[in-house]
Amino acid sequence: MMPSSHTCILNKTTLIPCLLLLFFVLLPGQALALDGNDILRQVDANMQPQSYEMYRKLINIEPDGKKKEFVLYSLKKGQDKMIALFLSPASEKGRSTLRLGDNMWLYIPNVGKPLRITSLQSVVGGIFNNSDILRLDYSTEYEAKDIIDEGDHYVLDLTARTPSVAYARLKMEVDKKTLLPTNIDCLAISGMLIKTLHYSKIKDFGDGMIRPAMLETSSPLQKGYRSVMLFAKVKKRDLADEVFSLNYLSKVDELR
Amino acid sequence: MPFLNNITVKGVRTFRLLLLFYLLGWPALLLAEEEMFSFDLDEIEKNPLVWGGYAEFSWEHMDINQDSVFNHLNFSAKSLSDFDRLRGTGQLFGRYDASKLNLNWLLQASGQQDDLGWTDTTDIFALYGTYTSSPTLSTIIGKKSYKWGKGYAWNPVGFINRPKDPNNPNESLEGFVVAEVDYIKTFGTNLQSLALTTVVLPVVEHVNEDFGSTYRANFAAKLYLLYRDTDIDLLFLAGDSRANRVGLDFSRNIATNFEIHAEFAYIPHQHKLVLEENDSISNRTQQATSLLLGLRYLSNSDVTTIVEYYHNGGGYSTAEMNRFYELIREGALNQPLPLDSLLDKGRELALKGYGRPQSGRNYIYAKITKKEPFAILYLTPGITSIVNIDDHSYSFTPELVYTRITNLEMRLRLALFNGGVSTEYGEKAFSNKAEFRVRYFF
Repeated sequence: MMPSSHTCILNKTTLIPCLLLLFFVLLPGQALALDGNDILRQVDANMQPQSYEMYRKLINIEPDGKKKEFVLYSLKKGQDKMIALFLSPASEKGRSTLRLGDNMWLYIPNVGKPLRITSLQSVVGGIFNNSDILRLDYSTEYEAKDIIDEGDHYVLDLTARTPSVAYARLKMEVDKKTLLPTNIDCLAISGMLIKTLHYSKIKDFGDGMIRPAMLETSSPLQKGYRSVMLFAKVKKRDLADEVFSLNYLSKVDELR
Repeated sequence: MPFLNNITVKGVRTFRLLLLFYLLGWPALLLAEEEMFSFDLDEIEKNPLVWGGYAEFSWEHMDINQDSVFNHLNFSAKSLSDFDRLRGTGQLFGRYDASKLNLNWLLQASGQQDDLGWTDTTDIFALYGTYTSSPTLSTIIGKKSYKWGKGYAWNPVGFINRPKDPNNPNESLEGFVVAEVDYIKTFGTNLQSLALTTVVLPVVEHVNEDFGSTYRANFAAKLYLLYRDTDIDLLFLAGDSRANRVGLDFSRNIATNFEIHAEFAYIPHQHKLVLEENDSISNRTQQATSLLLGLRYLSNSDVTTIVEYYHNGGGYSTAEMNRFYELIREGALNQPLPLDSLLDKGRELALKGYGRPQSGRNYIYAKITKKEPFAILYLTPGITSIVNIDDHSYSFTPELVYTRITNLEMRLRLALFNGGVSTEYGEKAFSNKAEFRVRYFF
């Protein structure tokens, strides 16, 4: 049976308002469903696979423009396992750091045994500390307490899940379109700003991974100094759990 | 209005200049920034041959403690008031990877010129092959050094370690020829991981002779556990070259900036060379229990403090050390000529125990370093002190380490030794030592 023209007119007239209604009803609904922690997990998924390898260059820049550079090879598996091996400069070559949850160790070839280190220390000097170098997923270390919609980006108010995390709070700006972080304020428990991180240079790393290739940081506690981290060859890699153990630290370079 | 015209003309010129600068300069600035932060992938190219090392030059000046026992032993024939030494050292490490097999080496050569003349040495610190059949299992054969234990200054559980210098605990040390099997296993429980390292260390002619009695086999093992965020090692050494021994150590962060560690070693039948009251030398067998307790604390102002207490159960008591000091003094101060027989006996005793670093019973070690004070990047001043609790003598060593220039480390250090007559640091050959060291890594 053919539909009547009346029905058609009704359908047309009701369709657009219905779609608009659906749009306005569902959109806030989606935003509500996509809460801060969901966004944070999505940020992590966009930034790196669960198990991967990557290369990073760290550059410390002094007020007079002098630079000191470090190149690291890193491996990560799951929520809480990460290794960073120094490839250069020669004075640091062969040093490796391991993180298992809240535990961190530094292996220096001459010392010949791993020493426990803390997240607040910095094995490279400058503004990046160990927790920046051995950073786990944001959602592993932080919980979103609040989310503010600011037009083209969200601002997430993140609180550390455990006291062993280097920064008690993060204020993270997340680009709405890409769900990638752009700016992060790292705050002490008192609310004092410790450092600011800025992600930039979005790049296609292959395998569907499009993420920032550069991270810059500055700190009001070290005025005039800057540090930059460049990322390269970020790619998925399956790794045995045993790689993330103290006895394996001296052999990490063999995995490259 | 010529004045206004002038301003307008100047303004236009300035605007043109700014525009020109913007058009030409801005891309140049962008390019400069781009170049400033480049990451050349050639830098991370994997090569089967990895090598590196350092070249070092050091100058040392020591003031001789002329009345001290060790001055009588070491410089009796000389009448020196101070002592200068120039030293050059080169160290070369490398690794060659061939699939699951790799070859590792660490070589060191040094030469020094001092007031006694020229000496040089060349050593193979390590040369071993590794076969890693899987991330779980690996086998090593060759010469390799071990650094077992959690302590920074001392390691009573370092059963197959070379003794380290507490003032330079991070320096490379010569290894022993061994065969090793290493097994690693991880778990998703409170026991997070386990690693078993088993080592066979033979002592035959020209091989590991300085480990102990020759033509003997020795077996050592270390079981490592990461249990509830605590590192735990259970260790033992069995064999005929040295007395059998067992040990335990642990390390744990009780806060993010506060680490504690401890070592415990037990030797049921330790052999010790002792100078008896009648000046004879005897080889005693005794029970020895050694203990180390330590902490490492990082303050908010980036000050790292390491403190360790060490009880050396196999060490010499104050009375035993006094007898040794008296023997040397008696030999050295004998009139009209020193008694060489007593001095020779003293040298033998010094070599076999009495002259070893920290040969006493109870010590405190403290090291405080402040990273980058006054916002001076790459500068680390520090103070190290070792106190012999029993005779109240001590060393006090302030230092400055500067690493501003990439791959160049400069260290300036002054060691002061202080103590009365017949005390460990009061009887050192030197009353102080100034050292400047430059090390270039390549």
